[in-house]
Amino acid sequence: MRWLVALLFMLAGAPAALAETFEFPSILDNPARLRIEGSGDIEAMGPLIRDFQSLNPQVAITYVDTLTNDLFARLTAACDTGKDLPDLVFSSSVDHMVKLANDGCAGAHDSRETQRLPAHARWRDEVFGFTFEPAVIVYNRNLLPPEDVPHTRDELADLLRRDSARLDGKVGTYDIAQSGIGYLFAFFDAQESSSFGRLIEAFGRARVKLFCCTGELLEEIEQGRILIGYNLLGSYAYARMKAGAPIGIVLPRDYTLVLSRAAFVPAAAPNRAAGEAFLDYLLSLRGQQVVLRQSFFFAQGAPLPDGIDAARAESQTGITRPIPIGPDLLAVSDRQKRQRLLRVWNDSLGLH
Amino acid sequence: MRASSSSLFLRLMAAISAVLLAGAALLAYAASNYAQRAAENAYDRLLVGAAEQIRETLRIEDGAITTDIPVSAFVALSLSRQERIFYRVVGPGGETLTGYDDLPAARAGTPGDDLWDATYRDTAVRIATLRQFMAGAPQPGWATVVVAHTTASRAALVGDLTLRALLLLGIMSVIALAGVAAAARFALSPLHRISAALAARQPNDLTPLDVEAPPEISGLVQAINRFIARLSDRMEDLRHIIDDAAHQIRTPVTALSAQVDLLQVETSPERRQHQIERIAARTAQIGRLANQLLSQTLVSHRARSATPERLDLRDVLRQAAADAVPAALDRDIAVNFDLPEDPVWIDGDPVTLREALRNIIDNAIQHGARSRLRLSVRREAGTIVAEVADDGPGIAEQHWPMVTRRFWRAAGDGEGFGLGLAIAADVARAHGARLEFARLTSGDFAVRMVFGKDAA
Repeated sequence: MRWLVALLFMLAGAPAALAETFEFPSILDNPARLRIEGSGDIEAMGPLIRDFQSLNPQVAITYVDTLTNDLFARLTAACDTGKDLPDLVFSSSVDHMVKLANDGCAGAHDSRETQRLPAHARWRDEVFGFTFEPAVIVYNRNLLPPEDVPHTRDELADLLRRDSARLDGKVGTYDIAQSGIGYLFAFFDAQESSSFGRLIEAFGRARVKLFCCTGELLEEIEQGRILIGYNLLGSYAYARMKAGAPIGIVLPRDYTLVLSRAAFVPAAAPNRAAGEAFLDYLLSLRGQQVVLRQSFFFAQGAPLPDGIDAARAESQTGITRPIPIGPDLLAVSDRQKRQRLLRVWNDSLGLH
Repeated sequence: MRASSSSLFLRLMAAISAVLLAGAALLAYAASNYAQRAAENAYDRLLVGAAEQIRETLRIEDGAITTDIPVSAFVALSLSRQERIFYRVVGPGGETLTGYDDLPAARAGTPGDDLWDATYRDTAVRIATLRQFMAGAPQPGWATVVVAHTTASRAALVGDLTLRALLLLGIMSVIALAGVAAAARFALSPLHRISAALAARQPNDLTPLDVEAPPEISGLVQAINRFIARLSDRMEDLRHIIDDAAHQIRTPVTALSAQVDLLQVETSPERRQHQIERIAARTAQIGRLANQLLSQTLVSHRARSATPERLDLRDVLRQAAADAVPAALDRDIAVNFDLPEDPVWIDGDPVTLREALRNIIDNAIQHGARSRLRLSVRREAGTIVAEVADDGPGIAEQHWPMVTRRFWRAAGDGEGFGLGLAIAADVARAHGARLEFARLTSGDFAVRMVFGKDAA
């Protein structure tokens, strides 16, 4: 079936929302239809969808890759009306998923696969985390000497202070006003550590460059226009490094935030059974093998891939901070909380 | 014995089970009430705690009311991983500062801090409302913090607590029932001992029961023992009667047998005729004796067992006379009745009274009356008297005290009085009456049964 896959690039109708739609037709007549909307690169999602289809050839799958904020806005509206919902949604902005489930959008699903998940990776039998993606520091191996590679947030702040001339305009991170994942990581950084304030002050002095998306930032680091990127999704960075990009990856040793991409089946989905089947596949041992080897390269309990600069394995558990999927994330979505964090961010970075 | 009534054990168990069941039902109701309150309190505390945490972050910054929703507020609430959580902060002017815009902030009529149930987004929710006065705001007034959550966990906790309480109650009830069953069996064991003691008796053993019994059933044992004593007395009476009968019958039958032997060897027709007359007389005597023995047995039986009835003594006397008078007709005796016009009521046993009076009349016909017999009933100085008088020689006055003994006979008297007067005396005694003899001024001899009191 893999050779039958056709990739169709489409421009979505709404001018603000740039979404890419990929069709994975079934070889059978009158296939069941499964529509998935999420925030995940086709390079990561393609292998999962094709493997699922090899197990379930009767399902024709449409995958729409959307930016998290656009996805959230669209689903909020769709859940209100109960119309035009996909059969499965997932997002790296887990706070969005939790908020949608809290608002009653998600349908409950209880299976052998969902039961295996740790408590922090599922909520209400509705929202399930299916990946294990650390937030990492990425640097250009050719341009940043090994002795300068920061291993903690404090080391990064110190480096920026010490080498402000060399690093001026050469440090990049997410624009947290635009990027859901950037905001989520920043929120938990602010919760986790007192050094975060120091770090963003240093960002401000170094005139940090802000990016909407992981891909663009990785491209800039690969090209050497940016030397150090902060809080990137480790899965995407590793895919780029594996493809030969001259970049290095550091799992911070003070603490490592770990995101679990969250998925749910909307209660009003047209084909809930197909959505649940795909969800069970994602959480199954076979699905998780694909997640680990082809899509996101990290998995709960699996050894880290080669070439990652990290603390020794035995101290990993102590510094790993999974972002829990649960109602705590409602505070992340709170509008005043968001304004407050953005204000601090903008003040520190001198953006006004 | 009637077997219909259910066993004492079952009755006890039924009564106690009913009480236990009623008690358990009451306790179950109380437990579910308590579980309800406990669960509500526990979750309400979480809810109010979360609202407090949010209220504590209310500030005025740059002339605007701000909050800084702490993650911990939701962490406490998310202890129950199943609940959806809604919140809202409202400014003094009713404007939503943050949270769910459409979450109701207060219910009508309760302006202060509040805890209430409502429906939000088609789901039952519990809402905590806390207020804080924002004095430094541009428009000073009350800010309101509203936190709500869905109620499935409460219901689950109530169910869980209630179930546990019911389980305990059930176990307690079973233990109590088992204990009661054992106690009842233990308490009833003396009854089993008594029945075992009775069952183990020899058929002729009429000695009192000697069984250890608690006070509650010692009455029963005493009653059984009284019954055994009565039975023993009756057996004794019966033995006497049989002894008497055997003795009394054996002698005349032996005599009869001897006379019949004589008759066989007698050749003289005159003596033979005489002999036959004697045999006839003897046979009649034996017949009478047999009647009297039966009659005495009857009287002695009924005297202890018959229930008294209200009787008209005139009727009893008439019936007794009707039994006896055929004998009088043989002798050509005139029988007169002298009875009051109104009924003369007494309490007594009609059978034995009639038997007694018949015996008196019989006696008069057999031994006394030459030509007339007068039967009368009358009231006399607060007593009731039934009298049988005849114009015969009667009984000599010196024999009066003796004639009521069984089989007493005056020296030289061939036939004796047999049992008739003894039976009459026994019946009189059993009725609280007495048997009297009198020589009337007319020279007639009278036998009287004098009843102590007019029953009417």
